[in-house]
Amino acid sequence: MVSEQIARRGIKHVQTLDAMRKVERHLFVTPGNIRMAYADSPLSIGYGQTISQPYIVAYMTQIIEPKPAYKILEIGTGSGYQAAVLAEIVDKVYTIEIVPELGETATDRLQKLGYDNVEVIKADGYYGLEERAPFDAIVVTAASEHIPPSLIQQLKEGGKMIIPVGSPFLVQTLMLVEKKKGKISTSSLMPVRFVPFTRSQE
Amino acid sequence: MNNAGNRRIYLSLGLLSASLIAFQLALMQLISAVQWNHFAYMVISIALLGFGASGTLLALTRKWFERHADFALCLVMLLTGVSMSGIILFSSALFGKFDTYLIFVDFSNTKYLFLSYLSFFIPFFFGALAIGLIYIQYVNRIGTMYFADLLGSGLGGIFLLGLLWLLYPAQLPAAVAVLPIVAGILIIPKSWVRRLIIPSLLLLFLPVYLIIFPSELPVSEFKSLSRVLNMPGSEVYMEMKSPYGHIQVIECPSLRYAPGLSLSFTEDIPVGDVLYINGNWFGPLADRTENDKSHFLDYTTHNLAYVISEPGSVLILDGGTGLHAGHALWSGASKVTFVEENKKVLDLLKNELAFKIDSLFSDPKLTSISLHSRSFLLADASHYDLIVLPPIESFGGSSGVNALEEQYILTLDAMNDIWDHLSDKGMIEVTSWMDYPVRNPLKILATLVETLEQKGYMEVDQHLIAIRSWGTISFVLKKTPFTPDEVSSVRDFCELMYFDPVLLPGIISSERSVFNHLEDSSFFSSVDQIVSSERNSFYKNYDFNIKPATDSKPYFSQYLKLDRLSKLHNLFGQGAVPFLEIGYFITLLTFVQISLIAFILIILPLFFTKWKGKGKVYTLFHFSGIGIGFMFVEIIFIQQFILYFGNPVIAASAVLSGMLISSGVGSLVSSRLKNSNRNITAILFLVILFILFYTFILTPALRVSTNLPFFLKILFSTLLISPLAFFMGMPFPIGLKYLDGHNNTLIPWAWGINGCFSVISTVLATIIAVEAGFFWVMLLASLAYGFALMANIFKR
Repeated sequence: MVSEQIARRGIKHVQTLDAMRKVERHLFVTPGNIRMAYADSPLSIGYGQTISQPYIVAYMTQIIEPKPAYKILEIGTGSGYQAAVLAEIVDKVYTIEIVPELGETATDRLQKLGYDNVEVIKADGYYGLEERAPFDAIVVTAASEHIPPSLIQQLKEGGKMIIPVGSPFLVQTLMLVEKKKGKISTSSLMPVRFVPFTRSQE
Repeated sequence: MNNAGNRRIYLSLGLLSASLIAFQLALMQLISAVQWNHFAYMVISIALLGFGASGTLLALTRKWFERHADFALCLVMLLTGVSMSGIILFSSALFGKFDTYLIFVDFSNTKYLFLSYLSFFIPFFFGALAIGLIYIQYVNRIGTMYFADLLGSGLGGIFLLGLLWLLYPAQLPAAVAVLPIVAGILIIPKSWVRRLIIPSLLLLFLPVYLIIFPSELPVSEFKSLSRVLNMPGSEVYMEMKSPYGHIQVIECPSLRYAPGLSLSFTEDIPVGDVLYINGNWFGPLADRTENDKSHFLDYTTHNLAYVISEPGSVLILDGGTGLHAGHALWSGASKVTFVEENKKVLDLLKNELAFKIDSLFSDPKLTSISLHSRSFLLADASHYDLIVLPPIESFGGSSGVNALEEQYILTLDAMNDIWDHLSDKGMIEVTSWMDYPVRNPLKILATLVETLEQKGYMEVDQHLIAIRSWGTISFVLKKTPFTPDEVSSVRDFCELMYFDPVLLPGIISSERSVFNHLEDSSFFSSVDQIVSSERNSFYKNYDFNIKPATDSKPYFSQYLKLDRLSKLHNLFGQGAVPFLEIGYFITLLTFVQISLIAFILIILPLFFTKWKGKGKVYTLFHFSGIGIGFMFVEIIFIQQFILYFGNPVIAASAVLSGMLISSGVGSLVSSRLKNSNRNITAILFLVILFILFYTFILTPALRVSTNLPFFLKILFSTLLISPLAFFMGMPFPIGLKYLDGHNNTLIPWAWGINGCFSVISTVLATIIAVEAGFFWVMLLASLAYGFALMANIFKR
């Protein structure tokens, strides 16, 4: 999966590639989807939520350039897969899930797999996690029409936030939000659908 | 059969036809509510091929059916009813694993798609089999039979409209299913009455039970409604049935609506309820006084018009749940006019839901009107300082799922009407989500620029401002050039909100990308080319269709250029195109699918039959020509009348009922005509003349009469539709009667061909309308009748 779907498509961040190799995706999918676990696509995990396509997880991880000392906040735990990948690289991951059932399953799963550095919080991610702020990076996996102001505030100076915009089954544009000298700037990255829509030179 | 028996067969046929039309309309509503709209389109098209397939079966097994005609007819009608009533139960229990949202991700879904097709195909197949059987049995009375068929169909549409007031979508199929069961009971053969009457009456319990205890709708978990209902504490606060859709108000303690909010906004966005129609997001119910310090829209690009000036009178078009009307009042407007076509929603907002939106509609400064925005513009004579258009696209883009929606408010003709309602310094504001590859912002910009030029304003850059946030872009067109103070206010606003100007008098290129960077900066050169004189060559060279929509081609969200498919494929990678423009792609796919299935199911088997005699060429051309022609006209009438009535449900009902009933009368009259070659050629010639006449006068006729009161509009539309439809109802029964006299083995084939081409042409009409416009669809309709005319002239 890593060499075919991820490295070959331009993911070069060594820690990300290592983490993607270590975390076994089949442990994060629903029983009915185990045979599809390493497929190059998002999979349903129930409640209208998905486990992202492996490439998207790797891309989002690479873009925030995680370092071991980082404290990361994730909004939308889902299956816990993205949190596990991040937890392979950084010291601490806080992850918030609004659907209680998904939060429960992810907590159990991550505990069983020994991810002591991941804390799953079952709450509304809109408010972020003020008591643990600021964060070096914020990964939002469940995007909404606006970026909650509290998340911007909880981002460390120089920090990065990554948000996928669009449908996981069609086209997603990844957006990077950066905080520099108190000002916020955004970058719309290339849209992706399984593979990035890299517009080759005409 | 005696007289009473005759009456029963007419009644039975009428009931069955009514049920098939009502069932089709009910399914459209139902499937759109649980899956994608386009899936409904695909399923119904395939299901309607049941008509063609029934013709094939009849042709292949004619002798058996003739021997057992009375019993088979009754049985097939009963089976139609049973398969209709159990459709939800059947499709969700057996094939419930299918989800359109997963179709491009999990290919194992494809087999469930085909099983879904099959489940929806069965009722239409049985229903059509019964009608085909009647036509074979009673071909000597085809004129009156066809009249009963068409009259029933016409009334079926009205019947469903009535049901929509009374029942929820999940109850509709069962309610419709009562009709074919009653139809079957009416014609139980005498020799079978004793054995069949009790079981048949017992069958009625099935739909009755399913009306009282409807099956649960298998709503896709990926629909916005399902996702909101999955949030903790979410619940349905209110539910209502109406022809304007199944309305649901959802209370969700974690849903906050603030699209494209500035990243400089630091306050909390209040939680709001949401209104859904047929399971699709309609709008938020925002309490405008929750936070009296600011309105969140002040922190979006949408605020641009209010930054430029302080408009006194504001017109909000396609206003939805009133969010922008509330913002206009908040921004100091002294008079706000709010237009929303969904009357039921407007009633709810004014009454039952008033407390959820701070009684917005009780504000004396606000006037609300329930009309389609275009109808309102044609009827209204006032002028406004600001006219606000509905937002374009949805967050994250919809990948073209709205490609085939007629958006009459975003056409060049609409923009001209809007312009005529501007005061001396009036402005038009429109906001769009940014998409990639960029399509929506470029098309609306092109529309605004062409409007300015059509009105004689050549220095368009002095009249247009656009600003961009991380996700949205807003345009303001002003009748007079922007003043330096106005330009300066826009710059300050952008700095404060982390927005970037895109179009601004005196702009320098480095200003365009200060806060929000685009990986592909070609967007800016595209904008510049549209504003410049190179616009036409840019339209031609750009890989997507961004030429403004017109009333003749009102598909604003249709961007796919068929001649660029291979180039897009090379540019964006294998398999990318369907994901960028899925709506139109599905239509093309549907067309290919039904053409293939039609060929395999309907045409191919008939080549293996040993029918005797001549007339195959005649049968093919006559019945395909009138099938195509009829449907092309019907589709164009519905599309044109949507603008006229301002409501798709009323438009479809008026056209369908008007056309079918008038055609039915035509058929009845035709039964009294001598079946001569002269008569049929004269009738077809008249139809062609009428269609050509309507091609030119329909649009102007509808436009001049658009301000008439509703009942006069209905009367006028009936007068317009009836003469053409009257003659269009004649060629089918006359053709069958001719075959009966010359080679009656071809009758089932004729029935199959007509059904098959009718279905194919509904999809084809849409594709031609998208590619070439309404005008060409009408011309081709006359050409199709021309083929039928030729077939009659040269028949031997």
